[in-house]
Amino acid sequence: MPHLIELSGIKKSYQLGLTEVVALRGVDLTVDVGEFTVVTGPSGSGKTTLLNIIGCLDRASAGKYVLDGIDVSDRDFDDLADVRNQKIGFIFQNFNLIPVLNVAENIEFPCSVRPGGEDAATLRARVEKLADEVGLKQYLHHKPDELSGGQRQRVAIARALITRPRLVLADEPTANLDSKTSDQIIDLMLQLNKLEGVTFLFSTHDPRVVKHARRALAISDGQMVDGALAH
Amino acid sequence: MALLKLALRNLRRNRRRTAITFVALVAGVGAMVAIKGFINGQRRQILENQMRGNLGALQVHKKGYVENVLGSPLTLDFADTPELRAKVAAVPGVKAVSPRIEFGAQLSTPDKKPLPEDGSELPEADRGITSFLMLTAFDPALERQVTPKRWEWLGAGRGEMLQSATAEQLVLNDDFARGVDVPMWKAGAELPPIEQRLAVLAPDRDSSLNGVNVVMIGAIASATPNDRRVGVISLGAAQQLLRMEGRVTEYGVDVDLKLDLEQVRGAVAAAVGPDYEVHTWEQRIPFVKDIVETQDFIFGIVSSILLFVVLLGVVNAMLMSVLERVREIGTMLAVGMKRRQIVSLFIAEGIVLGLVGGALGALLGWAWVSYMNSKGISIPAPGAKVPSLLRPSVDVLFVARAILQATAGAALASLWPAWRASRLRPVEALAHT
Repeated sequence: MPHLIELSGIKKSYQLGLTEVVALRGVDLTVDVGEFTVVTGPSGSGKTTLLNIIGCLDRASAGKYVLDGIDVSDRDFDDLADVRNQKIGFIFQNFNLIPVLNVAENIEFPCSVRPGGEDAATLRARVEKLADEVGLKQYLHHKPDELSGGQRQRVAIARALITRPRLVLADEPTANLDSKTSDQIIDLMLQLNKLEGVTFLFSTHDPRVVKHARRALAISDGQMVDGALAH
Repeated sequence: MALLKLALRNLRRNRRRTAITFVALVAGVGAMVAIKGFINGQRRQILENQMRGNLGALQVHKKGYVENVLGSPLTLDFADTPELRAKVAAVPGVKAVSPRIEFGAQLSTPDKKPLPEDGSELPEADRGITSFLMLTAFDPALERQVTPKRWEWLGAGRGEMLQSATAEQLVLNDDFARGVDVPMWKAGAELPPIEQRLAVLAPDRDSSLNGVNVVMIGAIASATPNDRRVGVISLGAAQQLLRMEGRVTEYGVDVDLKLDLEQVRGAVAAAVGPDYEVHTWEQRIPFVKDIVETQDFIFGIVSSILLFVVLLGVVNAMLMSVLERVREIGTMLAVGMKRRQIVSLFIAEGIVLGLVGGALGALLGWAWVSYMNSKGISIPAPGAKVPSLLRPSVDVLFVARAILQATAGAALASLWPAWRASRLRPVEALAHT
């Protein structure tokens, strides 16, 4: 069975004024379908850069990246937008909900930017089902500023899943949540991973979160240090 | 999520900024409509004064008259026959026809005192004055149907209008009459002796000088900038003076203005045949066309500057909106929104701003123009002493065009902020704080 993610020799460097900052120094990594994987490492280690490249939000300076059998290394901006929309769901540290949209509209937003797409009634039914799964059915018409941090992150999770993605990327999803809510969010992601079979890859430097992952990857100075660590 | 719905919600997000931009748009477009209404009103005032107070909508002359008007126009006269008048009057849209003679003359006022018996000269202050002026001769009964404004203006002057088509009377411009101290004869009073009357001298069509004694029965207040050294005289007196019995130099024609004047002009020209020429009032006084063109040019510049300043406000508001929403734009890009969709979103916001602000401004401007049209603004025409109500007016097409301009302008003004938003890289936009 082919890997969902195949990174080989991925390098990334930035120009910061006159200084060249090397963020990734040749990363080789594979992730299979259905994995629940965490990337750990100290601040500045390159984990966010790695997730950005895997999420097609940024391009590698060198190396090859194959996602779900598609070489995305040389795709143009709009092609990458399609790849993100169809294959990847995002959960951000700051939730990044659209403040003028209510919960239901935020969840369905990635589907609404697709050309064509499913009819409104079917989409709304899926939105309600997902909202129910993340425990927000009674908040469908609430705006983000009427929700708690944990509730907002649940909306973000539902939004990440609405497109039926192959991969969900979460960059420090619990960083802005208290420990109890963090546990609830991790449990929810684990549950969805089991139920929906969606691959989860997220970054964190919170050891309490790492213990929930089935696979942990460590990164330091832009390189994978331990390879794949299975629990 | 429909783009328009999202655009509307985004505009409601920062209500104060949106309100300020709306106010600028409303004021700008409202001012544009109001200024245009005012200009139209002033144009109408000029048109009314020139057409209904001086020339008539159309003028029929012998062919070559207008080109020769400063030379010897009296040689290009024509017989004023009932048949010819009937031909003109029968053209659809023609409401009235008035035969006229336009000519230059010399007016001499009587001495204020009799000559001294001792044979000495009369002091200069007591001597009569001789002045040149342009006279229009007509039958008052017919002319009143073509240029009724003359009678209105007389009301703001002194005395009365010519009493008949043959009366040995004239009516002068009031400023001119006062300037040369012309005595007024009160209708019904005993006529003064010949030596106390006015003398009008003019070369006839054969260049022989002839004269006629008349009295001034009225003085018309100035209504246009070019009507000081002018007067009107009865057609019969002028024909006698110029030895032109039964002949005139022009027909003034009143036309139903709901019809296309140029079309009626063509029909009259066809009716009278190739020996005659027919002009519209605008063709006879090209300076009015120049005024209109100058006004249009100035209005074009003023409205462009106004719109530009207003649209700068839209650019500013949209740029602020982009800067405030960088992370949100990053999120939209991350979940798969394409650059053209981001551009469309911001342009949609601009279009809504322009459409609503423009429509509201145009509506307010139109309401002001309509109110002022019914009430009238008491502003005399340029150079006029006659009180005159300026009635602003604006057509629906202009109002629609103003809304369209505001909408298209706001869309255009949003283009740069929209482009900037669309060029954001998702990874940088998401990291924006």
